[in-house]
Amino acid sequence: MDTIGALFHGFAIALTPGNLLAVFLGAFIGTVIGVLPGLGPTATLALLLPITIGMDMVTALIMMSGIYYGAMYGGSTTSILVNIPGEAASVVTCLDGYQMARQGRAGPALGMSAFGSFIGGTVSVVAVMLISPFLAETALKFGAPEMFALLFFAFVCIGGLTGRSRAQGLLMATAGLLLGAIGTDDIQGVDRFTFGRLYLQDGIGLVPLAMGIFGLGEILYNIEKREAQGAILETPKSLMPTAEDWKRSALPIARGSLLGFGIGIIPGGMPAIASLMSYAVEKRVSRRPEEFGHGAIEGVAGPETANNAATAGGFVPLLTLGIPTNSVLALMLAAMMLHGVTPGPLLLLKWPDVFWGVIASMYIGNIMLLVLNVPMIGLFVQILKVPYGILSPLIIMFIMLGAYALKNSVSDVLATIVFGLAGYLMKRFGIEPAPLILAFVLGPMLENNLSKSLIMSHTGNPLFFFARPIAGVLLSLALLVLIYPLARWAWRRWAPGRDRRGRCESAGGNG
Amino acid sequence: MNVDRFLGMGAVMLAIPVAVASWGFGVGSPKSPGAGFWPLLIAFVMAGLGLTLILRPTPNAGGETGESRWGKFGISLVTLLFYVAALEPLGYLPATAVMLLVQLRWVESRSWRTSITIALVAAVVSLILFRVLLKVSLPTGVIPLPRGW
Repeated sequence: MDTIGALFHGFAIALTPGNLLAVFLGAFIGTVIGVLPGLGPTATLALLLPITIGMDMVTALIMMSGIYYGAMYGGSTTSILVNIPGEAASVVTCLDGYQMARQGRAGPALGMSAFGSFIGGTVSVVAVMLISPFLAETALKFGAPEMFALLFFAFVCIGGLTGRSRAQGLLMATAGLLLGAIGTDDIQGVDRFTFGRLYLQDGIGLVPLAMGIFGLGEILYNIEKREAQGAILETPKSLMPTAEDWKRSALPIARGSLLGFGIGIIPGGMPAIASLMSYAVEKRVSRRPEEFGHGAIEGVAGPETANNAATAGGFVPLLTLGIPTNSVLALMLAAMMLHGVTPGPLLLLKWPDVFWGVIASMYIGNIMLLVLNVPMIGLFVQILKVPYGILSPLIIMFIMLGAYALKNSVSDVLATIVFGLAGYLMKRFGIEPAPLILAFVLGPMLENNLSKSLIMSHTGNPLFFFARPIAGVLLSLALLVLIYPLARWAWRRWAPGRDRRGRCESAGGNG
Repeated sequence: MNVDRFLGMGAVMLAIPVAVASWGFGVGSPKSPGAGFWPLLIAFVMAGLGLTLILRPTPNAGGETGESRWGKFGISLVTLLFYVAALEPLGYLPATAVMLLVQLRWVESRSWRTSITIALVAAVVSLILFRVLLKVSLPTGVIPLPRGW
């Protein structure tokens, strides 16, 4: 089946009443949780995971994807109207979006954010559709050494890209690997770090971990440190940007689409990073950089486009290689595995309905979100007016319920609370939790492929990997990512003509 | 205290028992790795990264804003632990209603009327939604539920 034919087949699946309802529900729930600060797509998907078990696989994934990209749409509303980011990916939108709102231009800011998100999301879905079959075909040639090298590269990128410092990010990722190693060893049946507890023999569940760290941790932090909520501005009457707004936003939207997609396909390339980088690029290339931070529409259009493009881009490595690039996609991987579907190169061959159904639903979802966001902005403003003090106990209730419902286990509820406390501490001390969750998911795959590769080598010599071209290139890239900052630091410290702090001795300025 | 240094020390301290335990699982050899091979590798990497953080920490993130509400934080945590203990013996409905009531009244300082109303309505509605409509199994406990729920 060619790509166009396969896409039509996907539309035939996505346009069935049940799946259409799933797109709508996903997009709507996603927008609402995006609007509400304190409840992100990771916690929501973790909460919904037990419910999706009873659903059709394609329908469940369509709904989960809708929640993910819907959250990116919704996050900007809170940033623009309240100056509080609804999502991490909308942090930079506060800078210019809120300033535009204060100048009476909330409508064009919200409108451009919605149009940018739509364009970025759609461009990215087209790219996913074109690249994925090619990548999946290439990945079919991968053996255990290539998979290990790819996963190791992903691990290094995740640790390096998302932490405050590379070492801290990698340490959190290593902690994730250790958590992933808890339980009965698959190959030899040895119990590892179970302390004789039956609950730990199956390993720690992704749902208690994700809901605890991302959901409960955030709530506990907000209970301990409640910050004053900014004034909610009135519902704007029109969301249509002017011709001048369009002229100024066209290039930022184009750049945001490409940049967002590129970042989205890199492991660890979260939408939040895409939006931050887009903002930095737009400010650098702008002829009016002094307007940034004071209501420049480019500062809304670029980042909002980029975060949606990154959202769709993340589906490339998930669906073709089975590698989730962020915590939301890690939960989607878990949902697929719960239904017996293994994402990876064989997905397109064995489960084409899943791949093409989800891709087609993303086209529909993006259109639906654009149509939804414009008339429903008044409703979202009303949702924002519900006091957080009432919402937070209700969110706790849903988290506890979701934790229990997966396996009807009180131990899962307790584990969620323990991880919630860990999530609170991470938030309190500025430690990024995403590398931990991602490495937790990648860990068992890394171990499995490493063991298989070493057995294949007959000697156990790590140089075996470099004798295979693809594995060698990927491992070299990973080592380069690891070594580059060390080399840069060493150069700054010991290069001739620089003092011990890396400054040029003659100039005395920054080195 | 610098967060990176603290994390680094914690990592080194954790890596030691992990390495010892991994040895006990059976490390095997590089050409035939045992169950302890992978965790031992993790322990080495963890210790290395821990030492890096101790020796080259990055400065702490910017200062915190807003005052700490430790009392409310403590009440919230104790309520959650109560929920774990009470969920199966008392049942979903009373355990959830009590947990919500405490959170709303004492953590979020809502009025008695608001707290009781929201706690009861949310507990009943979520029970109907998840147990009756979505067929999620939730503990019944001490309050008898209508037939078919």
